[in-house]
Amino acid sequence: MVISKEDLMKSERQAAMVFDLNKCIGCQTCSVACKVLWTREDGMDYQWWCTVNTQPGRGAPKDWEQMGGGYRDGVPNPGIIPTREECGGGWDFNYDEVFYGGKGRSVHLHPIGEAPTWGPNWDEDQGGGEYPNSFFFYLPRLCNHCTRPVCVEACPRNAMYKRNEDGVVLRDETRCRGYRFCLEACPYKKIYFNYAKKISQHCIFCFPRIEKGVAPACARQCPGRLVFVGFLDDVDGPIHKLVREWEVAIPLHPEYGTGPNVFYIPPLAPYRLNEDGSIDETTPRIPTEYLEKLFGPRVNKALDTLKAEMAKTKNGGKSDLMNMLIVYHWHELFGPFTKDPAELTWK
Amino acid sequence: MEAKKVTAEAKVLLDPAASEWGQVAAETISMGGTPVAQQPSRYIRTSWSDRPIGNVRSLTVRSAHNSKEVFFLLEWSDPTKNDGYVGRDFPDGAGILFPLKGDAPLQSMGRQSQAVNAWFWRADFEDGAKNVTASGIGTVEETEKSAVAARGQWQDGTWRVVFARPLAVAEQKEQAVQLEAGQSVKVAFAIWEGSSGERAGIKSFSKTWRELTLEG
Repeated sequence: MVISKEDLMKSERQAAMVFDLNKCIGCQTCSVACKVLWTREDGMDYQWWCTVNTQPGRGAPKDWEQMGGGYRDGVPNPGIIPTREECGGGWDFNYDEVFYGGKGRSVHLHPIGEAPTWGPNWDEDQGGGEYPNSFFFYLPRLCNHCTRPVCVEACPRNAMYKRNEDGVVLRDETRCRGYRFCLEACPYKKIYFNYAKKISQHCIFCFPRIEKGVAPACARQCPGRLVFVGFLDDVDGPIHKLVREWEVAIPLHPEYGTGPNVFYIPPLAPYRLNEDGSIDETTPRIPTEYLEKLFGPRVNKALDTLKAEMAKTKNGGKSDLMNMLIVYHWHELFGPFTKDPAELTWK
Repeated sequence: MEAKKVTAEAKVLLDPAASEWGQVAAETISMGGTPVAQQPSRYIRTSWSDRPIGNVRSLTVRSAHNSKEVFFLLEWSDPTKNDGYVGRDFPDGAGILFPLKGDAPLQSMGRQSQAVNAWFWRADFEDGAKNVTASGIGTVEETEKSAVAARGQWQDGTWRVVFARPLAVAEQKEQAVQLEAGQSVKVAFAIWEGSSGERAGIKSFSKTWRELTLEG
């Protein structure tokens, strides 16, 4: 039977996430929640399916935005494979020496072997701009479970596909041969090679959890309660409202052409300070051009809407949008995925 | 080409440097890249459209059998030894292909009704070679068991890889080519040069089937 890429890419529904970047404190709890749950096996030590990077920055893997991939004018765009060094991480540390070797006061904790040159949040908190107008914000990233997943397009063995019921992009690990065409093609560079199994791997949207009504680990564990999860077509859910109605949640690098299903509420920033210390209310501290580079031109309308709705509440008015983003009730984040994983029996 | 009848045992001939191989005539096979238009995904066709495919252009093959096992010694020049996944590189590899049925086409790795059998060695395999079947591009499947032994050696810019297998593999009638002395079979070869990003269908191959006669 001939399977077409169109068949592998289609899905009846689409699960999606919205990250409110105005609330992200860069604590890496999402990264660690994912790490602990999914990437602890041999060959996965350097894999971080969810990463949080400081923007502006070179990101993880290093300079991933210069690695190509995605689509250009509807045609798959050549990309390169991120190397293990460009991802960094997965280091072994001298725990034994420091904690059990009686040298706790003379030896400090350090990676064993070659000195690392990059890591998953290597340029943390460096940001951009000059004092007093320096700025930064955090950007959590994971597989975007794209509507036009170029990884699926790339695979010569049809090992990758979108799940019909929720659009989650999965891989049949028994078909994957580790050719890494998907790593080349993914413009977000969120696929990792497993050096032990010699296959590629990526975020699975915690599908065994969502099948049981539990939100993905990155979302549920987020202390800032800033990750919305749900179906894009659920008109009563926050995802639909934020993405389709308010249009304040927008994808990262829409120009890559893959149709990401992870969306971001773009960051607002304080105004700039003039040299005399007065406030310049006309200029945002995060340059508009920079945000446009990341989120495309739609970022301006999104920010305008956010500002207008904030102003409304400041003036004593009511804003449904602000109420939604405040998230008065935690479970409102998770659409149909509000179950407590501790209350379920896992096989 | 001919698989010369010899008396040496497998443990001797599996050594690519064994002097016994000196008694076996070598044939040089001209290799070419697989056609980009035939690559199985649009991404691969696009990204390789202006990249040269098939780095290795010449392959030396020696073949022998000792009435129990058949042996191939493949030699090719490769200045870079790639025996793992380092950076953006892939491990080097070599394959020998046989039709399992009649006129299975070579370029498409067989077709639905006409499967092919390949013996696949890769420089990072701990032990031996895989036995695979295919019935069209993108359909390669490893069989659970492999009767194919292989040993590779890289020295001074040359790979020497020996493949060895019993002439007949009774329990894999549908999955492994069955050979016997005196018989002729079609055979083809493929080489992957890992530091050029060659893997999967990106490889050099011998372009046409060769007739291999096992000396009776």
